[in-house]
Amino acid sequence: MQTAQVHDVHAVLRTLDNLIAEMGGLAEAQLAAAITAVVRRDAVLAAEIVQRDKQIDRLELKINQQVMRIAGAARKDRADLRACIVATKIAGQLERIGDYATNLARRTEALRQAPAVPASHSISRMGELVQAMIQNVLDAYVARDAAKAADVRARDVEVDRLHSSLFRELLTYMMEDPRYITPCTHLLFVAKNIERIGDHVTNIAEGVYFLVHGAKPAEGRSKGDATSLTVFPAGAAE
Amino acid sequence: MEKGHIVKSFDAELAHLSELITRMGELAVVQIDGSIRALVRRDTALARKVVEDDAEIDAIESEVDRFALHLMALRQPVADDLRHALAALKIAPDIERIGDYAKNIAKRAIALDQAPIATPVVTIPRMAQMVRDMVIDVMRAFAGNDVAAAREVWERDVEIDETYDAIFRELLTHMMEDPRRITPCTHLLFIAKNIERIGDLATNIAERIHFQVTGELIGEERPKLDQASVMVVEPHEAGAGSG
Repeated sequence: MQTAQVHDVHAVLRTLDNLIAEMGGLAEAQLAAAITAVVRRDAVLAAEIVQRDKQIDRLELKINQQVMRIAGAARKDRADLRACIVATKIAGQLERIGDYATNLARRTEALRQAPAVPASHSISRMGELVQAMIQNVLDAYVARDAAKAADVRARDVEVDRLHSSLFRELLTYMMEDPRYITPCTHLLFVAKNIERIGDHVTNIAEGVYFLVHGAKPAEGRSKGDATSLTVFPAGAAE
Repeated sequence: MEKGHIVKSFDAELAHLSELITRMGELAVVQIDGSIRALVRRDTALARKVVEDDAEIDAIESEVDRFALHLMALRQPVADDLRHALAALKIAPDIERIGDYAKNIAKRAIALDQAPIATPVVTIPRMAQMVRDMVIDVMRAFAGNDVAAAREVWERDVEIDETYDAIFRELLTHMMEDPRRITPCTHLLFIAKNIERIGDLATNIAERIHFQVTGELIGEERPKLDQASVMVVEPHEAGAGSG
């Protein structure tokens, strides 16, 4: 692969920012559409989402090419390199977010064939929250706003809380009626995917913080998601 | 500038980066093995150790980041070396995620130890064995820049997906037979999913190695498709004998 000599590192960095903004916007749209597909049981929309994932993958490649150009440049300073590394990491996170959105959209087909579970409201709420977080973390990135990034990071606790409560809600449906077991299992994974997207947004927020301050945020991330420790279940199992 | 400090050759520095990645991979395999052993033997102490030891993998990942930055800052690397450094930068988070999945399996093993009734862990250990072998082999491909070995790992992901589908069906059937099994089986479902994800990550790493060495994508679409995400299991399938 040829790396053409870069004369204006800052111009390339601006291109990089634009590509990340584009990729982020796409990832956010994919999540929104995936939630809609799942809630409305819309298989056509779900298929479109799966198709569109390739666009996100292609943008990641483009971003990595720009990063290689800067890293290979003769004149560059540490701040430029830091920007590069953060950009490639953020691109990786956005690519994952796209994957999760696609994965959750793919469950639409199974959900369509099973009885409808009355959990749309909780899923939509969780989806909207994470979608807003994606939007805000991208704004924080473009503006190099560490405070805004920290604020996004703090909101992940709320995502985990919603996830835990949705998890219990779904288990309860499953115990009430075995016909709900299949659709609720798929929704458990949908919920988990949204929760994971929240984690990736948090990683991006940490990247923005690193970009601005040159160090990781001090305190550890609070982990509100206790679902992997759920033993359950008061009463519901009887 | 210190005088006596002899600047290591770029190759030596790249080799150090590879060693860090290799070390991460070895730790990840130990973590996978530990989490599954904890699950099968209902060994809470071991599970706790796995949860604690995850920090070690995270620490090496930070070192990889620092070192890659240092590497790019000091010189003007040529494209091949850059691709190598960038591949390391991208592979490190994949291994870190593998560690996270092992940690999550260990956490769920602890929860399962406390469940009122034991649930058979079905085919999970066998699937875990397949996946840890993929991780070992893909790390070997990474160390040797071996594209053929990477492709071979990449192709194995299909088997993992098939095994996952079988486990998915089996667990749903258990749940339908006995509602008391719903919670423990949910944990097992996520454990199986975690293992499947580890397989995906090993596959990702294989793709990155291919790209690093050849400068090209591994080629055609990944031979994906677990059917579990579109699978519907009906309650009557579960109650085979009882109508």
